[in-house]
Amino acid sequence: MYRKQVRRRRAVLALLVIVAFALLTITYGEAPGGLQNGVSAVFAPLEEGADRALKPARDAINWFDETFDARGENEDLKEELAEVRSEVAAGRAAVGENLQLKELLELRDSGVIPGGYEPVAGRVIARSPSLWYSTVTIDIGSSSGVAVDDPVVGPDGLVGRIKAATGGQAQVQLITDPESQVTAKIADNGAQGIVHPEVGETDDMILDFIDSQKRIDRGDMVVTSGWRSLDGERSSKFPPNIPIGEVTEAPIAQQEASQEVHLEPFSDLADLDYVDVLTGGSR
Amino acid sequence: MIITPKIALRIGLFLLAGILFQVSFFSKIELLGTSPDILAVIVVCLGLLGGSLAGAVGGFSVGLLIDCLMAEPLGATALILLGVGYCAGLYRERFDVTSALIPPLLCMGMTFAALLAFSALQLMLGIDVGVSIVVARDIIIKSIYAFFLGVPIYLLMRRILRPALIDHREARRRVRRRGRGRVRELTA
Repeated sequence: MYRKQVRRRRAVLALLVIVAFALLTITYGEAPGGLQNGVSAVFAPLEEGADRALKPARDAINWFDETFDARGENEDLKEELAEVRSEVAAGRAAVGENLQLKELLELRDSGVIPGGYEPVAGRVIARSPSLWYSTVTIDIGSSSGVAVDDPVVGPDGLVGRIKAATGGQAQVQLITDPESQVTAKIADNGAQGIVHPEVGETDDMILDFIDSQKRIDRGDMVVTSGWRSLDGERSSKFPPNIPIGEVTEAPIAQQEASQEVHLEPFSDLADLDYVDVLTGGSR
Repeated sequence: MIITPKIALRIGLFLLAGILFQVSFFSKIELLGTSPDILAVIVVCLGLLGGSLAGAVGGFSVGLLIDCLMAEPLGATALILLGVGYCAGLYRERFDVTSALIPPLLCMGMTFAALLAFSALQLMLGIDVGVSIVVARDIIIKSIYAFFLGVPIYLLMRRILRPALIDHREARRRVRRRGRGRVRELTA
């Protein structure tokens, strides 16, 4: 009797392992299929309900964390303030630059979003538990005009693109997902490159394959390049000039040796609440 | 654990609630720069209470559902959580849970192992970008959270599955009463 039980247990285990490996082999690197879309559609109302119900508790915990962080940041901020003061005294037009940045960042009002795109606002209702996948679920889907590969922006800049969409919800692949790559350029001098993440980092990304002839400085703004092939058949998934982030590290040696610089995304990708999906564009 | 349709339903609902809590609550909060992960904790608790088969099936189901919900490659999370559930169940079948510290310690250890295995699996599958040291920090902090979350989740699951637990005091009493009844029948 006991032996029979052990045999049955082992058989079930072996079966489940085989199924898991088979699924992994079939679906790895493929777009989400019918099963995933079906399950997402069924669970969408539950996720939305849970998200709404748990928001007060979530906000309270996040408030504690932010307060804790703010204490540590206080000292750093004091040092930074002293630096900024000396820079202002030296005559650098920081205020003007700041205004310029703000104008660029107010995406909807400033007209940064190119014509032909219709922004549709969505709320983030779920988030992947793993650092290895930066994916969030939003409460709008194909019934609101959302389609796969639509760009997604937040109040501060680029957030990602639509990975899968069902009637009432969609999955967004954030720009910090290991599979994400965004063609980008430096706003000032047009140096081209590809922005990709490092697994685990939400506030440090890499701009790779930059033109070593063009100098990039700390504080330079990185925007989407939105390229299109000459025959018009192929194009970037993102429209041009959507702010992505600001260069944080750009040592000359690193630029020349590995042709890469580090940047910090403008969007707070770890704490997203509302996003705009740019629907209907001609990519 | 005696799994009746009612108990299976209870387990299913508990796992479902756990998944919803994870994606809508725990994944969206940050404490010390890391979000707690309760999925492995739930599966460990299920394995500890229900044995290796219940743990493996529960872990596989939770993982597959998460893979579906987050549009991730199917099978990756399922494979890891299946192993977690099976190992926790094996522990239950071979050793006794003699101390109240064993469930949280197992939750911590198995979460650590699960996150490490998941990272190894991702690296084996091929990642084109670099991996930050933040991943290692995330694994350690999540494992510590798992220790603290293990206590309430284990107690809650034990309470919910109480009627099915053969080693529970009430169940034991019931078995004893039945046994006495049978003895009386035989002696009469």
